[in-house]
Amino acid sequence: MRQWQRRRLVGYAFVGPVFLFLCAVVVFPLSHAFWISLHRTRGLATSFSGTANYQRALTDDAFWHSLGVSIQFTVACVTLHMLIGLCLALLLNEIRFAKTALRVAFLTPWMVAPAVGATIWLWLLEPQFGVVNFLLGAIGVIDAPLAWLGTPNLALISVIAVDVWRGVPFVMLLILAGLQTIPRDQYEAASMDGAGSWQRFRYITLPNLRYLLVVASTLDIINTIRHYDIIGVMTAGGPAGATEVLPVLLYNTAFRGNRFGEAAAIGVLLLLIVLAFAIFHIRLTKPEQGSAQ
Amino acid sequence: MRTTKTLAALAAATLCAALGTATAQQPIVLQWQTANLTEKQYEPIWKATIAEFEAANPGIKIEPVLVARKDHWTKFVAAALAKQAPCIVSVDVATAAYNGYLMPMDKFIQAESAEFRGAWSPDILSAAKWKGKLYGLPIWGGTYAEIYNRELVTKAGLDPANPPKTWAEYLAWSKKLTGNGVWATAVLGGKTDTTTRVLLTWIWSNGGEAFNADMTEATFAKNPKSLEAIKFYLGLAGKQGLAAPAPTTTNYLEQTNLFSQGKIANMRNAYWAVAKVHDDNPAMKGNMFVAPIPANVANAPTMSTMTASSISASCPHPEAAWKFIKFDADKKWSIERARVANWMPLRNDLANDPQIKADPLLAQFIQIGTRARSYPLPSPIWAEIAAGDIVDAVQRALLQPEKTDEIFRDLDARLTKKLRDV
Amino acid sequence: MMRRARYADSARWILVLAWLFLVVFPFYWMINTSLKPPSEIFLSPPTFVSSNWSLDAYVTVLTERPFARYFLNSFIVALGTTVLSVTLAAFAAYGLTRFFPRGATPFVVFLLFTKMLPEALLIIPYFQLMASVGLLNSYLALILAYASFALPFSVWMLIGFFRSIPRDIDEAAKIDGASYLQTFFLVILPLAKPGLVAVALFTFLIAWNSYLWALVLTTDASMHVLSVGVANMVGEYRVQWNELMAAAVIAAVPVMLLFAFFEKHLVNAITSGAVKG
Repeated sequence: MRQWQRRRLVGYAFVGPVFLFLCAVVVFPLSHAFWISLHRTRGLATSFSGTANYQRALTDDAFWHSLGVSIQFTVACVTLHMLIGLCLALLLNEIRFAKTALRVAFLTPWMVAPAVGATIWLWLLEPQFGVVNFLLGAIGVIDAPLAWLGTPNLALISVIAVDVWRGVPFVMLLILAGLQTIPRDQYEAASMDGAGSWQRFRYITLPNLRYLLVVASTLDIINTIRHYDIIGVMTAGGPAGATEVLPVLLYNTAFRGNRFGEAAAIGVLLLLIVLAFAIFHIRLTKPEQGSAQ
Repeated sequence: MRTTKTLAALAAATLCAALGTATAQQPIVLQWQTANLTEKQYEPIWKATIAEFEAANPGIKIEPVLVARKDHWTKFVAAALAKQAPCIVSVDVATAAYNGYLMPMDKFIQAESAEFRGAWSPDILSAAKWKGKLYGLPIWGGTYAEIYNRELVTKAGLDPANPPKTWAEYLAWSKKLTGNGVWATAVLGGKTDTTTRVLLTWIWSNGGEAFNADMTEATFAKNPKSLEAIKFYLGLAGKQGLAAPAPTTTNYLEQTNLFSQGKIANMRNAYWAVAKVHDDNPAMKGNMFVAPIPANVANAPTMSTMTASSISASCPHPEAAWKFIKFDADKKWSIERARVANWMPLRNDLANDPQIKADPLLAQFIQIGTRARSYPLPSPIWAEIAAGDIVDAVQRALLQPEKTDEIFRDLDARLTKKLRDV
Repeated sequence: MMRRARYADSARWILVLAWLFLVVFPFYWMINTSLKPPSEIFLSPPTFVSSNWSLDAYVTVLTERPFARYFLNSFIVALGTTVLSVTLAAFAAYGLTRFFPRGATPFVVFLLFTKMLPEALLIIPYFQLMASVGLLNSYLALILAYASFALPFSVWMLIGFFRSIPRDIDEAAKIDGASYLQTFFLVILPLAKPGLVAVALFTFLIAWNSYLWALVLTTDASMHVLSVGVANMVGEYRVQWNELMAAAVIAAVPVMLLFAFFEKHLVNAITSGAVKG
């Protein structure tokens, strides 16, 4: 009895610090955001308005449009992060020559601040003076400079591309490491049984990587859906709202529009969507956890 | 450490002031935040301003707050909501006053001599007022005019001494100026309020109005002259091909880059663009000439922006802040700003200053600015709609010109709703 | 069979080099721009290699702006964040895997929950919180904020990690008479070192690159971190591209060196068990 209670207490002592830390540092801002979403704010003047902000957001075309763009952006980015990251990891795993140098080189986009990376790409994609248009023109792919950030479809593709450029290294690193934990004998046994490379991949590689892929993809989705920097720097949500993801809408509502109550409502709605999704997504790992002691 | 010291100093000073005795011990520290502090060409000027002010006022220290321009408002708001905003700020007066971030300055300016007060015309001062109270002292601004590349103009067989005065002439010039990898001008459609500024100058030069008199209704489409102007201006970028490509990502920087590199022959811009072009491309010195904006009605106004220095609502030392604002608005610094960054002084007693007169372009801008309307427009939601809704509409219209009518009717409805909701 | 292997090898190399080009080109261009004199930046067609390359921009940036100070500030904040975050995460992950194995998932969801609101909403209340306790313009305010960003990933990774260290080791230590804390510090942590290194590097990176919070929470120019120092070089009225790129290179180099140095540890770290869950 006492032993069990004592163990509990020790457990709390270990986990407690994080919990208390987050309560002190994060829970106050979070609850403040919830609280302010129930108010109408005009700078320093606030008045309670109940669910008015939520009603306004849910009946606003801009919100739904923004949600749509967010979903498109997140799905495209995360899918590409995972696919390209996986491919790269598989490729790099087989290469022996200049392993370290290659790996560090591939990590570089992730090592600069998002805003810095976005600024570099802004410069590269400049219609008149940027080098991308120049190169594409020189090799004959395009015959007139493209306005990469100036037309809706191209702008969305451009920001997705930049986000993928930035986000792949992280996934690649995780999967690369994961690949090296898979025991070689599993592969050898499968080869001897006559399994082809696709089958080896599907029945050995993927299952072994499952936990890792779920962790990586969940975090990636959460990070991408709340990401502001790249789009904020490159297009500020333009042109004509084509890249206006929810964080951009929220930022503009809060800081340019000075309507923090409305912005908070948008934020809370976003949080609820992501929370629901995350819980659902994490349940996918349940079977795996049980087997791993 | 430093924070504690500062807080202690402020606390002590406030207490003393409350007791009615003057503070003598700790120096008062005033924070000064304006987006221009990070403009490189201005750096030596503001450093000198602070140094001289502190030398003349030993009890006051000025602490500059450096912020990138795009984040200037965000940082100010975060601080203002916590009642910790810098004492001296340059922000959009109407928006900041409406949200309660600024302190009225009437009592300070009334206490000054008539000579001081006379340096600002009632028009200019009213641009810094909100609901009848003065919330900022206008420090500098810029007047919009047409700037041309002399070499490209003469190469096209046009006469620099006879710039276009009407739209028809402007169109004729534009057609001649376009060709051989050069465009006549650039249409601004990027996501900053410069897009709205230029759009308004076109609307006004056609005798149109974008809003009704008390800013409760938008008339971009409702006023037929406005709509006509919008179509003409945006049409330059469309099929006519008279404007540089990619207008939806063209802001002030892109426009001036294009002009400096000789890719566009003309830009509608303010006097500060001249300094930028000189810096970007020294070969452009002496190669620019200025003309009033072409107009279809007589006495059409151009636009003059106004930047003011204000005191934040939570400032514990407003008198000291006013001292600095007065100092900074002095003739000496106004002239320096004009010389180094081409930011036009808003004082009306500098016209005969030799340094001002020595610059012919500046003289022209000042002359053009005598018929100008003030910007930003006096609405507390101006920052939002100028860089948000209006820009969105312009971008949409640039991408789908055939829907221009519908787009601007939508804009009118949206803006009117927002304006009434203020 | 040999030829097929060689084709496969070449194909692999081609794909890798293609992506490598896409990844590295922007950096090459960044460095190229930073070495050019201002008059060459807008040349059309742009120059890829220039005889006018010089380090002038770097010299200007380093002498005109207090980059040494920015470095110091960034370093202190990043190091403080790493120490705090890794410590808290290690404690929590250990506690969860040893004492509340079934509570791990809900706890992780709680951690993720703290990250689900976009930054823009958290900044203002956080600013007010820090203002009310007098922590504005302090390293601590940034350290606390960044540590909270890094925790979800750190804890999640370390959970997988600690799970792979068998309980028998704890039992053995207990039998030898060690207290819970001693077991944790002297026996388990050393075994977990690679995982801790990995989490530390990720956390350091997050803290080093963060911008908006540092911007809002510091007004004193002597407290600016590197990311703020670089951002302040982007005026709306003028952008000195070569200097800006030079500053960006300067800001990125320390992290790259750090990663290059620890890369081996990094891969080994995640390798030795964290990934299996």
